[in-house]
Amino acid sequence: MSDIEKNQFDDRLDVDTQISSGEALILLWRSLKLLKYTKGLFAGKFAFALLSIFPPLLLPWVGKVIVDQVLLQKSFGTTEVRFPPFMNPFLDYVSGMAPIEIMGTILMMYGVLLLIFGLRAGGTGVALTQGHDAATQSELALSAGGSQSGGFVGIIETMISIRLTQTIANRLRTVLFSKLAHLPMTTLDDTRIGDSVFRVMYDTPQVPQICFNLSLTPFFAILGALISLYLMQYSYGSVAPELVWIAGALIPAALVVTVPLSSVARQLNQSSRASGAATTNTMEESMENIAAVQSLGGMAQEKENFEEKSAESFKRHRYAFLFTQGVVAIGMLCTTVAGIYVATLVTDLIIAGDLTPGDFSVLFGLFLSLGGTAIAIGMSWINLQSNVAAVRRVFFFIDYPTEDPGVNAIDAPDTICQSIKLEDVGFQYPDGRTALSDINLELSIGELVAVVGPTGAGKTTLAYLLPAFLRPTTGKVFFNESDTADLPLSTIRDQVSYVFQEHVLLSESIRRNLLLANPGASEEDMREVCKTAGALSFIDSLPDGLDTVLGRSGDTLSVGQQQRLCIARGLIRDTPVIVLDEPTAALDPETENALVTALQKAAIGKLVIVIAHRLSTIKRADRIVFLENGSIAEIGSHESMMQQEDSPYRKFVMLQSGASAA
Amino acid sequence: MSAVTASDAEGISFKKVASLIWRAWPFYRPLLKHIITYLLINVVSGVLMLGGGLVANDLFNNKVMIGIPLQPMQATLLFLDDSYVIVEEESSSMPEEAEATLLTNLQRETIRNRLFVWAAIVVVIAAAMFSLVWYYMVWIFQMINQNLRVAMLERAENLSLRFHDQARTGDAIYRVYQDSATITNVLQQLVITPLRVVAWLGWGVLLVTFFSPWLGLLCVLTAIPIVVLFKYFSPRIRRTAVRARESNSDLTSRIQEVFSAIRVIKANRAESMVINQFNQDSRTALDAAFDLRMNIILLSVGIMLTATAVVFGAEYLMANWTITESATYLGGVVTLVGFATWNLGAYQSAAGTMVQNAAQSADLARLWGGAQDLIVGLERAYYLLDQEPEVTEITDPIAFPAPIASVSWQDVAFRYGDVPVLQSVNLVARRGTVTAIVGATGSGKSTLMSLLLRLYDPDGGDIYINDTAVSDLALDSLRGNVAIALQQNVLFTTTIAKNIAYASKNPTRKQIEAAAAVSCADDFIREMPQGYDTELGERGGKLSTGQRQRLSIARAILRDTPILILDEPTASLDAETEHRVLQNIAEWGRDRVVFLITHRLSTIRNADQIAFLQDGVIEELGSHDELIADEGGCYRRFVDAELHGSAIHE
Repeated sequence: MSDIEKNQFDDRLDVDTQISSGEALILLWRSLKLLKYTKGLFAGKFAFALLSIFPPLLLPWVGKVIVDQVLLQKSFGTTEVRFPPFMNPFLDYVSGMAPIEIMGTILMMYGVLLLIFGLRAGGTGVALTQGHDAATQSELALSAGGSQSGGFVGIIETMISIRLTQTIANRLRTVLFSKLAHLPMTTLDDTRIGDSVFRVMYDTPQVPQICFNLSLTPFFAILGALISLYLMQYSYGSVAPELVWIAGALIPAALVVTVPLSSVARQLNQSSRASGAATTNTMEESMENIAAVQSLGGMAQEKENFEEKSAESFKRHRYAFLFTQGVVAIGMLCTTVAGIYVATLVTDLIIAGDLTPGDFSVLFGLFLSLGGTAIAIGMSWINLQSNVAAVRRVFFFIDYPTEDPGVNAIDAPDTICQSIKLEDVGFQYPDGRTALSDINLELSIGELVAVVGPTGAGKTTLAYLLPAFLRPTTGKVFFNESDTADLPLSTIRDQVSYVFQEHVLLSESIRRNLLLANPGASEEDMREVCKTAGALSFIDSLPDGLDTVLGRSGDTLSVGQQQRLCIARGLIRDTPVIVLDEPTAALDPETENALVTALQKAAIGKLVIVIAHRLSTIKRADRIVFLENGSIAEIGSHESMMQQEDSPYRKFVMLQSGASAA
Repeated sequence: MSAVTASDAEGISFKKVASLIWRAWPFYRPLLKHIITYLLINVVSGVLMLGGGLVANDLFNNKVMIGIPLQPMQATLLFLDDSYVIVEEESSSMPEEAEATLLTNLQRETIRNRLFVWAAIVVVIAAAMFSLVWYYMVWIFQMINQNLRVAMLERAENLSLRFHDQARTGDAIYRVYQDSATITNVLQQLVITPLRVVAWLGWGVLLVTFFSPWLGLLCVLTAIPIVVLFKYFSPRIRRTAVRARESNSDLTSRIQEVFSAIRVIKANRAESMVINQFNQDSRTALDAAFDLRMNIILLSVGIMLTATAVVFGAEYLMANWTITESATYLGGVVTLVGFATWNLGAYQSAAGTMVQNAAQSADLARLWGGAQDLIVGLERAYYLLDQEPEVTEITDPIAFPAPIASVSWQDVAFRYGDVPVLQSVNLVARRGTVTAIVGATGSGKSTLMSLLLRLYDPDGGDIYINDTAVSDLALDSLRGNVAIALQQNVLFTTTIAKNIAYASKNPTRKQIEAAAAVSCADDFIREMPQGYDTELGERGGKLSTGQRQRLSIARAILRDTPILILDEPTASLDAETEHRVLQNIAEWGRDRVVFLITHRLSTIRNADQIAFLQDGVIEELGSHDELIADEGGCYRRFVDAELHGSAIHE
């Protein structure tokens, strides 16, 4: 049994969740690279965002004109402050106008800019309901998008923005889903379904934020800041140079505050997400097995379990939130302190007459926007860390070793399996248990082979080797003369069908369940295999026949009926080799007899391998492989082995039939 | 399945919204104290900020920047003496003279310094409160969300299996996560913020009317195009919200189902197929999300443009008034501010308020869009709560009768959907006996037991424990007294010990081990690396079927109930193990009623009575010897088939 430690939130594979700053940077880089799939959209977003910067630059200056020239009716040039060069066309146009005429011109200009850029109307954004937990916030993050502008440009930029976010996130979640679907059999026991759902649905949407916080956000923030600084310098540099320095120092100061807090941010976020995934696990397990839960009377227990896990995930999310808010508060405090200092300087100058009240609007406006930028940059660093925690969870499974696809399908020879040979095969589970040793076996097309033995002998493990669900740890498995280690996985699985002991059917129609195995199967094919499996009679007795939708709690069909349907599904692929694991366990004797007869017929031209306990199933096999404690104790036909006094198989059979003799 | 279909989304009345809000009340009630505290803090700080903002505006723009003397109350606020105060000789009908004396530079600086000190204090307090109050708010709303989540899950746990059959697991997950989260916003988005926005808007309109009635009129007229926009976009937003939620729910379901069935998918090389399906579902969900957002954005941009255009118009008017120094309408009324005539301060105030009003309208627009989605989500959440469990208790349920004497089915009939499963079943099992239920697969053996557990209610007839119908018993009591080892051997992803102890009342380790010994599981459990504390894999992986079967039996035994049902308990066990297990069970089951569903002759033979189920009725009932005597009987045929099959030699 495995020694894997569980971390406190249910993960068995993903146990090492702390990462160093270096590793965080690597993850950030990998996320950033996703942008290459969205070059067009990204360029569009960039262009529009760039365009959006300029109109607001006018505002403080036009505001100054409104205050000084319109309201206070001063004429131009009463102070030393110079207007920036881009204001000159406007200034030329309005020079000599009466104050009210200036106002009219300004407002017309505003009107046009309003329509196009939504000037003074605020940015564009969507505020959908969001809960206070990682899951709902992630779903919204998946389609996040907006614009600093309003109006026409705002709408277009938002459209591009949303599609950009969606494309990046979708790319990643498709890759993750695909990797999860290709995990090796041995890890499936340790992965939780709820956790997989959580990672695909709620961890992947954090990626686009990383891309933006590493590209657009800092770029525009710094660009905006530089422009503001330049304007400040241009117009006010001679009058109040220290202002420019203070303003310039804001952004680096913000980073100095936030960078040391990186790993705390990561850890808090990881805990929040892992606990959310744990809650999903609980819910998924409970709902999926609801029939069992109700039969066993476990409803109250499940509710308590869920309540506990849910409360924990809320708590963790709160902590992460408080941390973020705390950082913002610190940022605001620092900005305010600096702001008050700046305001003091400016008002001194106004009172002294070097600046006008209008200048205050400009300066303070500039300063506030710089302060906002600094806080935004500081916060975006913190958010990056939070997002990295989510993205680490995604990349963990993307990097996880999947089933070895084997050799490239194009290079391999076209193999139709005629025989399977196991040579000195042994298998040891990753946690050290030895399941099989010294297996030597040759099976050919046309045989019906039974694999028999006491429980725990290794029958299923042996069977798993055939479609390469497991690879032998020692020895080799051959298809014809080719070592399966050299064959592509697709080729192997195309040759071998496997019917599992646990009957897993999709909660869709019977037809779709069959089509899953063979999308190209015709109606006749389906009816044929159902007949062989002994399922046709009950299917025909159902009102919707093949189109009957199977319910989730499995009550549409009895277990025996499900079993036969699974067998039909195994047969419909029409592969040379078919393995059936305990196909008759839930069947009554008559049905079982019919099935075994049918299998014998189906075995013509195929290799059929059956794992079974029941003598009725076993004894009609061409050959029987008797396993005990992971090795082959004996091989032969039923008759031949029964004739030997000291045959272990014979001993086994006597026990079976001794128990059932009339 | 959806509570709200696209066409439902068309009509949404005030009454409906009101009822949705009302239904949220039980989840808010436990936190009422906290909510009120939070609201008070908000309102008080809001009023303070609004009022403070006005005062600060006047102080800064008029007094510091320009040098107009203070109002008396303002001087008191700043701890300054009368030399700063305006000299009130005439009434405000002679504004020209009031302007004559300006403050000195030193005075302006002093005012500025004190104002800044106030500002600094306010900001520090605000920053601290900001974090803490937000945390408080988050805590409150999380608790409300938790209340709803747990209620929804509890309801889902108790709904009939017929409901679950048609529902997808991913849908339940989606509703409990995403749809339930909408409740946290009911108070905020459907009650508080609308009230706040309307209040601020109202106050804002009132304020600008103080300055001039024309401004007030302008604000009111703007409402017309805004309402038109609302009416046009609301149904569209709701429709797309429904689609977005449904498609995301489908996507969640898809993922869950694929990973549930992953082994089968691997075996059938269907990975590409499911990945393609995932891609499609993903795109559908993303497109729906996009459509929703675009509708909301078009609405809010439309409204913002309208409102802001109006602001521009207002600014023109106000500039005109400031330039001509007209009197404000009621500006001199409030003694705290000096707005009797239009001046810089008045302009900034009034313009600021108009801009605020526009911003509030924009807020309202965004709110409205979000509210449509909220309503849709909330309905989906309530849908689950609205489902009635099929199997309900009567008003005064009886306790489970003890000691038990018999379990009987009388004329029981049951259909699953359109398919009749049981026609008229009559069976009595007494304490101290083992009843074997035999029949072809699909004959209804497991269903018979499901009815005993009241997973379903029969369509005809009834089941009795002693003389009490099971439908008169309390459900918990009934299921607490019937233990079942399921055919499907469902185990959970926790330790072996916890699995065995599932739904038992706090068993001791010794009791757990004793139960495992009865089912012959103790040996293999001790061989595992962590023994009873070994963690099982997803769906109970890492064990062979035979091992799982024995754990399942141990679980049933540990519950120590008067009735025990074993559904194919030994299908995957070899003969030797099977024999031992059944011997133990026979011993253990001495004073109980034991039901055994099985095909194994070895198991059946020793039962006290055998019930052969066929075509929905018990065809034959009796002991092995009695039934086998009937040469043409079903049981005889059954035994012959089994013997023939298990004969050593053909």
